[in-house]
Amino acid sequence: MIASTAPGRVVAKSIETLRETLGRCDREGLKVLIEGGKTLAGMGPAMPRADVSLATTGLDKMLAHEFADLTCSAQSGMRVAQFNAALAKHGQFVPIDVPLRKKATIGGSLAAGWPGPRRHFYGRARDFVIGSQVCLADGTLANSGGMVVKNVSGYNMEKLYIGSFGTLAVFTHLNFKTLPIPKKRRALIAPLPEATRPRAVAQIASLAVTPAAAFCVEGFGKNIDGSDDIDGRVLLYFEGSEELLERATLDARSALGKAGVPETTIVDTGASESFDRTLDACIANKRGRSITYRLFGTPGTAEERAVRLRDAANRHELFTDVLFDVMNGDVFMRASERDARRFAEKIGACHAELRELEPRCAIVAGDTAARASFEPWGAVPPAIEKMRALKARFDPHGTLNPGRFIGGI
Amino acid sequence: MLQQRLVEALGADAVKTAPEDLAVYAFDAYSQGVMPAAVVLPGSTREVAAAVKIANDCGEPIIPRGAGTGLCGGAIPARGGVVFSFARMNRVLEVDVRNRRARVQPGLINLDLSKHVAQAGLFYAPDPSSQKVSTIGGNIGTNAGGPHCLSYGTTVNHVLELEIVDENGDVITTSLDDIGYDLTGVLVGSEGTLAIVTSAWVRLLRQPETVRVWLAAFDDVNAASAAVTGIIGAGIIPTALEMMDQVMLPPIEAAFHAGYPTDAAAVLLIESAGFEDEMNLHESEIRRVVKEHNATTWRAAKTEAERDALWAGRKGALGATGRIAPNYYIQDIVVPRTKLPQALQAVADACEPQGIIAGNVFHAGDGNLHPLLMYDRGDTKQVAAVIEAGNQILEAAVDLGGTISGEHGIGYEKRDTLRRIFSTDDLATMSRVREVFDPRRRLNPEKIFPAGVGCAEVQ
Repeated sequence: MIASTAPGRVVAKSIETLRETLGRCDREGLKVLIEGGKTLAGMGPAMPRADVSLATTGLDKMLAHEFADLTCSAQSGMRVAQFNAALAKHGQFVPIDVPLRKKATIGGSLAAGWPGPRRHFYGRARDFVIGSQVCLADGTLANSGGMVVKNVSGYNMEKLYIGSFGTLAVFTHLNFKTLPIPKKRRALIAPLPEATRPRAVAQIASLAVTPAAAFCVEGFGKNIDGSDDIDGRVLLYFEGSEELLERATLDARSALGKAGVPETTIVDTGASESFDRTLDACIANKRGRSITYRLFGTPGTAEERAVRLRDAANRHELFTDVLFDVMNGDVFMRASERDARRFAEKIGACHAELRELEPRCAIVAGDTAARASFEPWGAVPPAIEKMRALKARFDPHGTLNPGRFIGGI
Repeated sequence: MLQQRLVEALGADAVKTAPEDLAVYAFDAYSQGVMPAAVVLPGSTREVAAAVKIANDCGEPIIPRGAGTGLCGGAIPARGGVVFSFARMNRVLEVDVRNRRARVQPGLINLDLSKHVAQAGLFYAPDPSSQKVSTIGGNIGTNAGGPHCLSYGTTVNHVLELEIVDENGDVITTSLDDIGYDLTGVLVGSEGTLAIVTSAWVRLLRQPETVRVWLAAFDDVNAASAAVTGIIGAGIIPTALEMMDQVMLPPIEAAFHAGYPTDAAAVLLIESAGFEDEMNLHESEIRRVVKEHNATTWRAAKTEAERDALWAGRKGALGATGRIAPNYYIQDIVVPRTKLPQALQAVADACEPQGIIAGNVFHAGDGNLHPLLMYDRGDTKQVAAVIEAGNQILEAAVDLGGTISGEHGIGYEKRDTLRRIFSTDDLATMSRVREVFDPRRRLNPEKIFPAGVGCAEVQ
């Protein structure tokens, strides 16, 4: 059954539809844009030519939840929030930390390779995937892994597809190992002026009770907590038992106090929502007048890189919002202006300088028009030729998301 | 020609061609392969690349080798060729304490890394039972696990970056921080069939504040299995949850004096690590669960020495099999953990009719069984019976919704069995990766893929 909601758009409601659509497009030389929840559509360039857009959102079933085995299997178009709500019925979850999780699909989130701020604590979302089925460009279904929590039978094919931006294959379903939901969550929020920040970051990095996530934020006020946009603050998220969180709170307050942060606000009710809003901020867009960059690196260099990106944008008289992940080192910097015209005038030179300073910084959000003239992914990795060869071998006709990934893959 | 060029590139000390030297490298812990044409012991990435180019020029297969502890024939030279030993590339190159990571060479012994970073309060989590001898490079090749991967995950979860030499002798790096395909994730566990790893950045973890080890004994193996499910079901994921059965307890106790009850049907060794308060909660909850499942003995290790003794018995279990039979054959299967009773029954069903004694020492929390089939290598009937029983055990694992290897790899031994869990299309898709990295099938040939498989041949 094919449910067509717009010319050239197919919402696959069955694996068979997905197979048939892809196979037909591949044979006929049609280019296919793969869609999940479209929450990360701000990543990557627009496709030079898209004949069909193929949405996986109709594949939205939990296929199995073997809660006693701590495993589950879900179709790729299931929304992340819906997926975790289903697992929560048996007190379990999978830490897929992506923005806009009510809308984002599990397949799209994993295909986009969004790494998530709790990865130092739980592991990457990719480490929870124990098996998968994909549909290749020619419509062939291919399985890997299984439904057991430990498996070294054959290549780690799911690792290849995760983060491939839908350019190698399309997930039909994914198998996960799950975790028990932590008994309690708590957010600690404190003002953090820039002068105090290096000491605070060092203290957070050496906390005895490791936070599940920790961010230093400058701006993004309207997105996260409604505070004044220019305030700097630190957001710590702890997950675990009541006893652990009590100890974490004491330790964190003491450590931040030593760094010169006198006051910390505890948020218990609404801690999860606060965490979600922080994630959402990473791709929050100011319509037509902002672009958000992401830069990976080690935690120890995160602040330095964040300041470097911010200062560069400020030199071009752009407004900036900055957020960096203390535990993993990811940096997000949003450059913006009050109106689209002024933004368009300034962003070109700013972008050039940012790329010169940090060749690997990637654009993760911004209106299509605003980012259309920039190469969004940044410097190609050293193994780009192997990646191109894989693309050619898996998708010889360039059917799947052609040109949307790094190096023109 | 081959020998001369290798000596010119690497020096005479780094090239072995005497038959008595080559014979050592024809084996791994599984079986014997074909005598290699040469063995090289490169001292640097540059030398690895040079030797790869020479092997290519001479049309020789390339076999990367760690410590040779692999149990599936992954390091045997199945078609001869040049064996690459990393015994001289065995250093910790860099420790980055702030970012909790280390850059190491492939020949570094697993346990040596944890020892090296212990003073900084860190450790390297993957801990295969062979960790006193097996190498990080070999562990990367097989995506090695170990008792503690229940909580910490297998090797792939701990590798951040790789430097590799590809089949052409080119040096490439891959990193989880690179935007692009996760080649690091695919290379880990590829058993040397895609590239040779010459260095790796690996993740280090902070040593826990408290480690607790408990022993629970049962007079029924099914009750022990149910207790495993009960502990996990209670929302506790211990750092390790191991089981030993009645066959194995007496020889282990005789060898290690660990204090195991030798009359129990099964013993669970349970470890949890974290903060003192949390461990108190874990202890009371786990104790409640095992009591519910009629544990006959409950013991908590009170000192580090007691803890170490309990672990010494578990980690040295394979050596204790010598008290039962001259040889053992170890299988490596995984089933959903709720299927442990059926899997254990399947092991008994495969072995008992043939008169084979089978012991079980395994990672119960992961559902990862290691049946130990005792036999005498000098008795050809026993050898045949053990092979037959091993195959039946693999079949049973698949029938129970499991898989044919949890941590040892596919290697040479299980490559044909891979067809039991993957379709022709699945294997052909995997083969596409191989075709990109090793189109001439020179890197560790005859491994992982069923005999004779190229993409077209899978069809």
